[in-house]
Amino acid sequence: MNQFHSVIPFVFLIFASLGNLFGQASEQKINESELLSLLQSLAIDDDEVRANVITSLAKSGDPQLERFFELYRQGSVYNWPDESGKVRIVVNEETVMDDDFNEFAPLFEPVSGNPFLVDGKQAKPDLLDLEDISPGRKIRTLVNSSKFLLRLFSKDPEVRSSGVKKCGDPPFLPEAVPFLNKIIYDPSVDEKIRWLSKESISLIRFSGKLESESSFSDRIHALKELGELNSLRANARIKNFQNELNKLYAGGVITAGVKRKFDSEITKVKEVLESHKDSVELVGNLFRGFSYGSVLILMALGLAITFGLMGVINMAHGELMMIGAYVTYEVQMYFGHTPDSPIDSYYFAALPLAFLVSALVGLIMEGTVVRHLYNRPLESLLATWGVGLLLIQLVRIRYGDNIGVNSPTWARGGYEIAQDIVLPYARLYLIGLCLVAVSFVYFILHRTRQGMLIRATMQNRDMARSLGVRTRNVDRFTFALGSGIAGVAGYGWTIIGGVTPDMGQTNFIVDSFLVVVTGGVGELAGVLFSGMGIGVLSKAIEPMEFGDFVVGPVWGKVLLLVFIVAFIQFRPSGLFAPKGRLADKK
Amino acid sequence: MKSVAQQLVESKRSLILLAILGFFILPFLYSIDLLSIGQINMIGRYMTFAILALGLDLLWGYVGILSLCQCTFFCLGAYAMGMHLAHHGGPEGIIDANGWKLPACLFVVYPYDVGESSGDALVPFFWKPFWNLPLTILLGLLIPAVCSFILGYFVFRSRVRGVYFAILSQAIAVAGWLVFCRNDVKLCGTNGLTRFDVIAPAESLTTFHPEDAKDQWIASHDGDMGQDLNEDGKLDQLDYSMAEVGFSLSEPNVQLSLYLLTLACLFGSFFLCKWIINSRLGRVLIAIRDDESTLNFFGYKPHQYKIFAFCIAAALAGLAGMLYIPQMKIITPSNMEAVRSVLVVVWVAVGGRATLRGAILGALTVNLLYNYLTSEHDYGLFSWSPDYWPIFLGIAFVLVVLYLPNGLIEVVDRFRDRFGNKPNSNPNEKV
Repeated sequence: MNQFHSVIPFVFLIFASLGNLFGQASEQKINESELLSLLQSLAIDDDEVRANVITSLAKSGDPQLERFFELYRQGSVYNWPDESGKVRIVVNEETVMDDDFNEFAPLFEPVSGNPFLVDGKQAKPDLLDLEDISPGRKIRTLVNSSKFLLRLFSKDPEVRSSGVKKCGDPPFLPEAVPFLNKIIYDPSVDEKIRWLSKESISLIRFSGKLESESSFSDRIHALKELGELNSLRANARIKNFQNELNKLYAGGVITAGVKRKFDSEITKVKEVLESHKDSVELVGNLFRGFSYGSVLILMALGLAITFGLMGVINMAHGELMMIGAYVTYEVQMYFGHTPDSPIDSYYFAALPLAFLVSALVGLIMEGTVVRHLYNRPLESLLATWGVGLLLIQLVRIRYGDNIGVNSPTWARGGYEIAQDIVLPYARLYLIGLCLVAVSFVYFILHRTRQGMLIRATMQNRDMARSLGVRTRNVDRFTFALGSGIAGVAGYGWTIIGGVTPDMGQTNFIVDSFLVVVTGGVGELAGVLFSGMGIGVLSKAIEPMEFGDFVVGPVWGKVLLLVFIVAFIQFRPSGLFAPKGRLADKK
Repeated sequence: MKSVAQQLVESKRSLILLAILGFFILPFLYSIDLLSIGQINMIGRYMTFAILALGLDLLWGYVGILSLCQCTFFCLGAYAMGMHLAHHGGPEGIIDANGWKLPACLFVVYPYDVGESSGDALVPFFWKPFWNLPLTILLGLLIPAVCSFILGYFVFRSRVRGVYFAILSQAIAVAGWLVFCRNDVKLCGTNGLTRFDVIAPAESLTTFHPEDAKDQWIASHDGDMGQDLNEDGKLDQLDYSMAEVGFSLSEPNVQLSLYLLTLACLFGSFFLCKWIINSRLGRVLIAIRDDESTLNFFGYKPHQYKIFAFCIAAALAGLAGMLYIPQMKIITPSNMEAVRSVLVVVWVAVGGRATLRGAILGALTVNLLYNYLTSEHDYGLFSWSPDYWPIFLGIAFVLVVLYLPNGLIEVVDRFRDRFGNKPNSNPNEKV
């Protein structure tokens, strides 16, 4: 009965698809009424009609439609015919049940998402009055891909580039090609999106889904283009293509000569892509190594002060980092930062607080436990381990086992320094934080009076005291400084890793001690070099392959340890060993 | 420093006490049902910890080497014994292409369901020697000792000492833990070794080659298809594992014997350590602790002695692990986490370093306390939650380190001095 009402849009659809056939790739702006009539024809239980509706809706490029597509795919879109049988497309996601177990469906407008008003009130008919128009499997796939078509017209460049990218991924969207072409020649889009469009077009052509260009020579041509683009995404598709080629050859469709020609082309492109991939991976691994190294330096920096300068084995160092992380969490809670309503400034406010709170905890530790244990390194190791146990359990009782620190929004994503080499902002921030922390410590130790006193006390305590230095105060200050830096490390960690009460024991303590021991005790430069060295080395080992054995993080760690033990053979006191009389003290 | 004779006399009394308590009173209490077999079993497990602590005490208390990877050696021993038990135990499993029964717990590392037949799921080669019990015991002692020898050789030779060694050993503990957690090392990953039913010393002995052992067993039952327990129409190793061979580990008598065996081993290790310490060698070890550089000048090579002590400690840890696993019936990589090894240090420090009795006392006290305090208790005004245990342990440990550097044994000795008859003994050895 309601098919009668859909004749007009149907006719319109035919024209629309004809237009498409002639390659008129213009973005079809449609107005409200056209949109409405298009939607109405969804009620026709005919896959072809529905497919046409979806396609023309997608071509409208209205970003509001993405949500509608999702709802339609889920089957939350219904037809609610009025008394005269006129089609009304509505959305209902959740039903409410009254005391008699009748299910009512509060309705919403399909596109805008506002409540569907009848007589000024939200309509809430019985669920049974709604007509199910949920799509079949084929249409669902189409709807899904149409979501990406829609994104091609988004104002947000992020969304747009993701849409452009998706068009070139399987299942390839040949219908997107005209739009992608348009993007290429649109002077207002940025380079990245233009490049992605070129890549996606070539990928679609390479996939052979584009009917006008499905012959193998066309596809080879597209492959060559991909090679020129250095497209990493093409790499994954080549194998499939070769399989197809082999099948054709086995079926006798193409001759050996043709196959050989194709094969040589493929190999050429493959070589280009492989070399590009290798260089990308090299730079990527180097960067990962640098960023891991900066994390290690951050973690070990505080230890270099408490252990390196003062000779206290602070096993609660990891717990001080944990406290820094939990301070960040508390600050986030205070600011009310959530992923949905981000308040990014919390992250900057948390930095000084994490430093101060950890320094305070360190100060208390120094006053109660550590000060009795100077010159008794093994005992200080044990006692501080006890303190660490205490801190872990206190935090666990207070916060439970797992909390979430949501990193600020700017930390998502990354900076693309060259094609396919993306440097995540979070990692860049950590490298920056590491630089700041190192220069801060350097400044304090070498450019302030307090730092001079610290160095004097640590070099010769008795002499310093006899010259009037209050060594007790210097001890307090130094330990608090080291603890505060530990807190900063924990704060920095929240941007890349999880926060648990025992994070110090599981993640940090062993690594940071190894860095300090390898670097040599008592020198800032030692920590810098060994931290960077260990970071880069471990990221260089991890992706290595020997036959079918990939090293991976675990064996990488074991190998690294072997390296360190071997290294200690040659430099028993680390990279930067204290020289002269100082060497005897430790 | 006390004379050796004095030390012997002093320790004799508490030893006799411990022997009487362990060998007679506890089994007696069990026989009149005052103690359950579960409790006996638990004390037996804690005694394996005491053996572990003895090894560390020898190393830390007398040589001054703080090792934070003793639990790794403990687990090496435990895994050795675990592989042996897994070979013999458990009726589940399949026969692999070479005729070995794939232990049930090993299924984890193969992508097959239990019972599904498979061509390429083979018992890994390094599992095979552990079929034989004496060989297992030998390996369980040797593997930790060899590992510690290699490590010690490289580390002590380059004069890594004190804190540096402690940190390095902790890193090794972490690395070991990471490796054992992996499935591709075929040690059952994080699930660990489990499903132990029987310990079958006689059956494992029949010949050196397990295949032959199986064949022999099958041959000895040939023609008797009543032995075809899994009813697959042939006699195979699965039938062997289902047949009643060996001693069931859940039997109270077996558990009691394991407990007594552990106690005997504890005394054995105690006397071994005592003997080492009282020998000339022991003097050198103590000298290393007190002044290594001077000893160096005298022409000794301290690293050789250190490696020796490290190996002994590791072998004792392996022994402890081997005794632990038949009583615990499961071993997982969580037993070798870095924290566990620090806990061993806690036992020794709490009990009293540089006295062997202290190590035993500490291990038993801390673990019995742990057992008591990790369950809920209601004390009227105050109810104790298991969550408080780490806090209690942390505070107690800090207090012991700060105010009781010689451990609980010092308190015990003071009491004895006050009420006993030896006013002149001086327990404060310099550490």
